[in-house]
Amino acid sequence: MSVAWIGSQPVSLTDAIQNAAKLLASSRCPVFTFDADVHGTRSTIALATMLGGAYDHASGQVLANEVALFTNHGGMFTTPGEARRRSSLIILVGEIPTLHHDLLQAWASSKPDLGDKRSRSWFHVGGAETDPSNGKLLRQLKAISLRSEGLSLNAELAVLRAQLQGRQALVSLSNIAQLKKALAAAQFPVFVFSGSSVATAGLVMLQELIVDLNIRGRASSVFLPADDDAWGSALTSLWMTGFPPRTGFTNSLPSYDPVLWDVQRMINEKEADLHVWVSTRGGQIPPKGGQAALISLNRTEVPTGGAAVTIAVGQAGMDHDGVTYSSRIGTFRTLQATAASHLPSASKVISQLAEALPGKRILAC
Amino acid sequence: MLIRLSGGEVVDPVNGKTSQRDVWIRDDVLVDAPKNEMADHIHDVSGCIVMAGAIDIHSHIGGGNVNTARLLLPEHHAAHLPRPANTPLSNAGWSTFQTGCLYAQMGFTTVVEPAMAPYSSLHTHLELADIPIIDKATLAILGNDDFTLSLLRDDKSSAMIDDYVAWVVGSTRALGVKVINAGAAAAFKENVRAFSLDDVVPEYGVSSRKIVKSLQASVTRLGVPHPLHVHANNLGIAGSADTAAATIAATEGVPLHLAHLQFYGYGTEGKRKFSSEAARLAEAVNANPDVTIDIGQIMFGQTVTISSDVMRQFSAIRNASPKKTVIFDGDGNGGGGIVPYRYKQDYYGSLQWAVGLELFLLITDPWRVFFTTDHPNGAPFTAYPELFELLMSSAARDARSSELNVAALELTTLASVRREYNLEEIAIMTRAAPARLLGLKDRGHLGAGAIADIAVYRKGKDIAKMFREAALVFKNGELVVKNGKVTHYRWGKTLRLNPPPDKAMVKRMKAYHEERYGLSLDWFTFPDSAIQRDDPFAEVSCNS
Repeated sequence: MSVAWIGSQPVSLTDAIQNAAKLLASSRCPVFTFDADVHGTRSTIALATMLGGAYDHASGQVLANEVALFTNHGGMFTTPGEARRRSSLIILVGEIPTLHHDLLQAWASSKPDLGDKRSRSWFHVGGAETDPSNGKLLRQLKAISLRSEGLSLNAELAVLRAQLQGRQALVSLSNIAQLKKALAAAQFPVFVFSGSSVATAGLVMLQELIVDLNIRGRASSVFLPADDDAWGSALTSLWMTGFPPRTGFTNSLPSYDPVLWDVQRMINEKEADLHVWVSTRGGQIPPKGGQAALISLNRTEVPTGGAAVTIAVGQAGMDHDGVTYSSRIGTFRTLQATAASHLPSASKVISQLAEALPGKRILAC
Repeated sequence: MLIRLSGGEVVDPVNGKTSQRDVWIRDDVLVDAPKNEMADHIHDVSGCIVMAGAIDIHSHIGGGNVNTARLLLPEHHAAHLPRPANTPLSNAGWSTFQTGCLYAQMGFTTVVEPAMAPYSSLHTHLELADIPIIDKATLAILGNDDFTLSLLRDDKSSAMIDDYVAWVVGSTRALGVKVINAGAAAAFKENVRAFSLDDVVPEYGVSSRKIVKSLQASVTRLGVPHPLHVHANNLGIAGSADTAAATIAATEGVPLHLAHLQFYGYGTEGKRKFSSEAARLAEAVNANPDVTIDIGQIMFGQTVTISSDVMRQFSAIRNASPKKTVIFDGDGNGGGGIVPYRYKQDYYGSLQWAVGLELFLLITDPWRVFFTTDHPNGAPFTAYPELFELLMSSAARDARSSELNVAALELTTLASVRREYNLEEIAIMTRAAPARLLGLKDRGHLGAGAIADIAVYRKGKDIAKMFREAALVFKNGELVVKNGKVTHYRWGKTLRLNPPPDKAMVKRMKAYHEERYGLSLDWFTFPDSAIQRDDPFAEVSCNS
């Protein structure tokens, strides 16, 4: 079975690497998109750094929203493990991505063994825009809705903050008295949110609400990323260059700018002339648009449509061992291959690409 | 490969007085001058100082909290001055790559990250492995987790505590154990806002003193070379000198390392109720041979404070500059706070600056006082060259003092202390003593058999310049820095202890994690192969 193609023609891996290296060497403005485990991300960022190319995660827009909470404001956080063990009051904020539903259900089936050790109660502040797909989860958790008809989530969070501080608000949220009673009894209430739950302004409002609660008591939040791999890539990027994704290079200096170095924007506006797409998830294709030549490192059995070069790569935890961020524990964990295959890891292929570039240079990872 | 460093002034207090002699390297170790053999390469280092590579025992260079600081403050990294563009990641701001390069350029070859949360040890090691050139090590945090506190509450045997400490050290690949404001992070989750040595953690009924004493004893029994590394209670507040003095007094014949003592050198005298108690603390340290300390010197300018002392960091939110912070209630020993801060030349900044220098100068034994800024809490490690100058030149101190707040300095003894560190004392404080403190017998000196970690400095009147740009640096015998610039990249190792795990404790840990977190133990542990680098770790022996 082929693992490398030039255009739609199967070729040897060596030929594909050589061809891709030529494209990289001749590119005026290469850009990189990745969706891989920690080591795939490290390699891609190291290659982007070597070539001075901007890089972003495949879920760059949502990730930028999550990153902005930290770069613009900060907040108070705790881990999923601590919430499970200590929090008897959980307030869900907005739509929680499906990938985290198992975690929340696991909390629901356990009782806190630290702190007040009371049975767990659940609330939900959702806003008019919350997807009804969360309805089943909310019913399972018996979450009490905090709602005001027609208000957006941002507005509901503002009203919630005002009401918890005893300030006047034009509208009131349903069940607010129940929440106040629960807050008075809970020693360590926790708000749970995702970057896809609410816009940055809403996340900041939520954090200010938590700061209010910490004036006299304790409260915190659990941040569940919209995509674990994307958040892991953000953390990896931070230690490698000092900045999150949407980092580029000006005069060889890295700079972070979520607009300027939005890789998809650069492709669409024809600033980039070469797009390196690294996706180990499988079944993903690069977004259409622009005229940049495409090098695709993809978990695929067929050449990527429109790619000048396609190289098949494996997925960490499936084809090979790896390391990934896990929101179950709020940090990195190892993954063992569940179906080890012949597919090379993205990091191995990128190392070979770097070696094939003209001039002996070190891939810094 | 046989290399000869010829004609330098060798400062190597472990192996004799300073003298002009040659230093010989065979492959990656130092050797005596061989007879009847020519060197493959000779470096003429006449007019230069030759020392062992420096060792930093307390610098926050990697891990979850450091990375969160990067996330919080992209503008902080962007403010770094441009640097040469022809090396991979060489301009990458406050990155792992740059950390290794900047340390190496100053002649440092081993650095200890002193605060690794056990549950995020994989993250810490991934970062440390991406720091080039130098060797690294890290200390595992204990003393705020439910398991430790439960063992103490339930009066479990010292053997069981030892088994747990050994399991944590081994599974997290640590070089030692640190306790941070013992019990306070657990108490903060129960809404306790202040916590002293004899305060008790709610729910457990265990005092901070008991936690420190128990871990101190366990570390000693296990033969961990580095004494328990203690971040004491009440950091940074007026009157904290009383806490530090009580902690020093509590050693009772068992070794203990007290971290960043400068941040505890404060009394309550003066109009502002904030004064120097450095002289009293220095006297207490001088009188107690069980105690070693590092300073945590502050230097003026912008930095970011990073600490797992979440209670302290929460109380500092209002002083954040710029006004954004992260406060993190982590699992057990994890968590902490990120609070950006600017040290100003006002009353408070001037006093803190002077307290650090007083401690450096009034503690008489350079084997027991360690050179740190608690990077980045007191200042970035890149401020070290200026700090060397302040220690070695009373004129430099006077000149700097003249720019500072007079009222603050009048409450210190700094102006009256005329001591100047000499090169032998610098070599002890930054090479020989750290190696001994950490149990690293293979470094910190230039005797035959030591690994060839060498820093060569060009002698000059400008002390800061001398230490900022090493003329040559060798790491394991490889020339990595020339004229203050990195010339060769390599990957160092992370130094760790590897005490054998007790089978019953492993079984207990499995059951604990499944019951309390609903997850198998392998979610929290990792194999060496996860680092994806050849031989990422090097073992250090425990004392027998």
